[in-house]
Amino acid sequence: MTTDRGGRIALESTAPPSIEAAGLCWTYAGRSRPAIEGLTFRLEPGRVLLVLGPSGSGKSTVARALAGLVPHVLPGTWQGVLRVGDLDVAETPARLLGERIGLVFQDPDSQLVMSRVDDEVAFGLENRAWPREAMQARVPVALAQVGLSGFERRGTMTLSGGEKQRLAIADLLAAGPGLLVLDEPTANLDPAAMRATFEQIAALARVRRHTIVLIEHRLEAALPLADDVLLLDDSGRQLAFAPADAVGPEAVRLLERNGAWVPRAWQGVEAARTNETGAAETRRATEAGPLLLEAAHIRIAYPADESGTHLAIDGVSIAVRAGERIALVGPNGSGKSSLLFAMTGLLRPDAGTVRLRALPRDDEAGEPMRDPARLRAGEIAARIGLVFQDPELGFVARTARDEVSAGARAMGRGRGRDAHDDHGADGVLAHFGLGHLAAENPFRLSQGEQRRLSLAALALRPPAILLLDEPTFGLDRRGTEAVLRLLDDLRAAGQAQILATHDPRLLPACERVVALDAGRVVFDGSPDAFLAAPPYRPAAPWRDGVALAITSGTAAVAGAAGSR
Amino acid sequence: MSVLPAPLQPVRPAFLTRVTPVARLVAGMAWLVASIVTLDPIVPVRLILAAVVALVLWSGLPLRRIPGRLAPLGLAIVSLTAFSILLSSSNGDRSVAAVVTLGPARITGPAIAAGLAVGLRVGVIALSTLLVFGPSDPTRMADSLVQQWHFPDRFAYGTLAALRVAPFMAGDWGTIGAARRLRGLQPRSPAARLRETGGRLLAMLVATIRRAERLALAMDARGFDSGIRRTHFRELRTTWRDWLTIVVALAVAAAALALPR
Repeated sequence: MTTDRGGRIALESTAPPSIEAAGLCWTYAGRSRPAIEGLTFRLEPGRVLLVLGPSGSGKSTVARALAGLVPHVLPGTWQGVLRVGDLDVAETPARLLGERIGLVFQDPDSQLVMSRVDDEVAFGLENRAWPREAMQARVPVALAQVGLSGFERRGTMTLSGGEKQRLAIADLLAAGPGLLVLDEPTANLDPAAMRATFEQIAALARVRRHTIVLIEHRLEAALPLADDVLLLDDSGRQLAFAPADAVGPEAVRLLERNGAWVPRAWQGVEAARTNETGAAETRRATEAGPLLLEAAHIRIAYPADESGTHLAIDGVSIAVRAGERIALVGPNGSGKSSLLFAMTGLLRPDAGTVRLRALPRDDEAGEPMRDPARLRAGEIAARIGLVFQDPELGFVARTARDEVSAGARAMGRGRGRDAHDDHGADGVLAHFGLGHLAAENPFRLSQGEQRRLSLAALALRPPAILLLDEPTFGLDRRGTEAVLRLLDDLRAAGQAQILATHDPRLLPACERVVALDAGRVVFDGSPDAFLAAPPYRPAAPWRDGVALAITSGTAAVAGAAGSR
Repeated sequence: MSVLPAPLQPVRPAFLTRVTPVARLVAGMAWLVASIVTLDPIVPVRLILAAVVALVLWSGLPLRRIPGRLAPLGLAIVSLTAFSILLSSSNGDRSVAAVVTLGPARITGPAIAAGLAVGLRVGVIALSTLLVFGPSDPTRMADSLVQQWHFPDRFAYGTLAALRVAPFMAGDWGTIGAARRLRGLQPRSPAARLRETGGRLLAMLVATIRRAERLALAMDARGFDSGIRRTHFRELRTTWRDWLTIVVALAVAAAALALPR
C-alpha cells in the first residue's frame, strides 16, 4: 500500500523488489552459534527463490529476516547487509517493511488471529490504517484471489487445513506486498490440500507481480516453481546460490551429505533403479503374526451442535497382527486421530469394541484379548503406546535419561529408582543418537531430537502395538531415515506399528495401507495397490506425492511410483 | 481433537444481536447490581423471569440448547442454595419458629429466604452473562470496547488472540493426560497425584507458550501494534437500539427492586 499526501490509497501491489544479501549473519540471543552465516546473493525482481537445507539450517531465519522480524522483533546479533528493493532491512522500521513484505507460516492454527474470515483478512489492513471503504473493497478481492469467495462469514476454525493456508495467503495478498515469503506453508496439509496450495503459489508465480521466497521440504512440488535455489548446510552457511535448472551434481551431493531431501529430478536414473530393487527387498512379505488388536464396528460422534450430530468415525473395523507396519492415511479431518485414541481405550467409542493384548511369548498361547479401557495404566503401557505429532506433549521427566527410564519404572518391576534401568536408559539413548544429551531437559532438544527421544522413551519396555501420529512431521531426510531405522529395530521383536501420516513417502516402508475418508475405511491393502488407484478425488496428489519415497532402513531416495 | 462443546451462537437475527456489546454490558451490569443490593429473594426471581423473556424473544440463541448448557450450573445453584439454607446462622436463632425440624437440626424461614437469595442471584448472573456475551462473538466485544469505550488495541485484540489459544489448551490438556496414562503413569497417593498434575500443567504451559509465541510473531508480521493508529473494518456505532436496551434494562431493574410483593 502506498499513501500519497492526500491520504489516498493505491490498491495495486508495490512493485516486486530485488533481494540482495551481503555477508548476512544472525545469531539469536542466548545462542553461541549463528543461525545463518555469510549469506551473499542477489535475487532479481519477480523471481521465485527456493530455499533448501536440512533441519536446523536456518531456513526459517531467512524468512524472518526478510520480513524484518529479525532483527526488529526477535532479539539477537545482526551482521552484514540485507536489502529488499531499496530498503535496508536492518535500518527500516518493521512497519514499513510490513507494507512491502508478506509472510506465511507453517502452522495454520497459530497464524490466524480473528474468528471470522473477513475480519481475518482485514486484520492486517486495519493494522496498516487502511480506510474502511478501501478495506471493504479489498477483502472480497483478496478472498477471490485464493478461491475463497463466499467464505466471508465463515468461522476461521471451521475451515479445513488447506482452506486455512489459502486464507493466510489471502491475508498477505490483501495488503498488496511486492515480496511474498512462504515458510513451509504445506507442512500440515494432506496431499490434496498441499496440491491446491501449490497451485495457488504457482498461479501467483506466473503473473510475476511478486518476488517469491519459498521454503519447502516437498521438493517435487516446489522445484518446478523455482527460478533460483539457495542451498544451506546444517549450520546455516550458504552452500550455493544458482538458477534452479543449473544445479549440478555437486550441489546434489552437498545436499545429500547434509541430510536434506533431494529432488528425484536431480538424481541419476541409475541410482533410482538400484533403490527400487532395494525397496522391493525390504518390503518382504511378513508372515502373519498373532492377532494383537481387534477393533470392531467403531463409531465416534463429535459433540453435537446446531447442525446435528456428526460422526468422526463411522463403523470402522480393523485387525492388527504382530510385526505388521500399517500406514493409516486420509485427508485432514477424516478421523485418523480419533481412531488412534479409540485404539488406546482413552477415547471410549459411542459404539463398537476394541480388544488388544500383549505379545505372546514363544512358549505360550498368549493372553486373552482385553478391553484397554479396563486395564491399569501399567498394563496398558506394556500393550500399546502412542507417539504424538508434537512429542513435547508426551514428555514426563526432567532429563532425557529419566524420560527413557520413567516408562519402564512405571511398568513397575522395581519401585523407585533402579540402577539397572538407568544403565539401560543410557544404552538406549546412545543407540538413538542421544547419548550426549542424557542430562538435557527434553523440552530443550531440537525437533528431530525430541522425536527420537519420544521413541527412545518406549524402547526399554516396548509396547506390543505402537501408534505414531505423523512420525516424520517436519523432519528432513536424515531425520526421517533415523526414525524409520529405529522403527525397524522395534519391529524386529514383533511389535505392530501403525503410522498415521500425510506423507506418501512413508507408504513404501509399510506393508499395508488403511485409508480413511469421512470416518470410514475406503481402502485396506498393499501400498502398491493403494498408489495404483488412490481412493480419493482427486487421486493424483496422493499418487505423485510418493515420488520422493524412502524405503525402510535404507538411505534410498527413490520413487516406488516414480516410473509412472 | 477437541472435546469442547460448540459455542452458543445466534441462529437467527434478533434485536439483541443488533445492539452493540458494550450496551449489553451496561444492561447486564444494571441487573447484576440490582440482584445484589437486597437480600429479598423476590428481586432475583423477577430478574430471572425478565431474562428468560429476553432470551426467548430477543437473543436469537438456539433455545433448545440453552437448558443443556446451563444444566451443570443449575446443579451448582441447587447445591449452593441447599448448603446456604442448612448452614445459615439464623437456624440457630431460637426466637424464630422452625419450619422443619430433624432431630437437633432446625431450619427457619429467614434461613430459607437467605439461601434462596444466594442461589437465585447466581442464576441472574448466569442468565445476564448469556444475554451480554451470547448474541455476538468475542470479536465484536473487542471492537466495541475499542471503538466505543476507547480501550487500547493492544489490550482488546491481544486478549482476543489469547481467547483463540484457549480451546487448544483444553485439547492439549486432554492429550497430555492421555500421553501420561499411556506411558504407564497412574499415581495412587495424593502426593503422587499432585506431582502428576504439576507435571501435566508444566507440559501444557510449555505448549501454550510456544503456540502463543507463534501467534504473536504472526501478528507482528502483519503489522499489529507497530505504532500506527489502527483503523476498523467493522464500524460499531451507538444507535437508538443501544439506548432503548439500557433504558429498558434499568427500568426492569428498578421495577424488580421497587414493586410491592
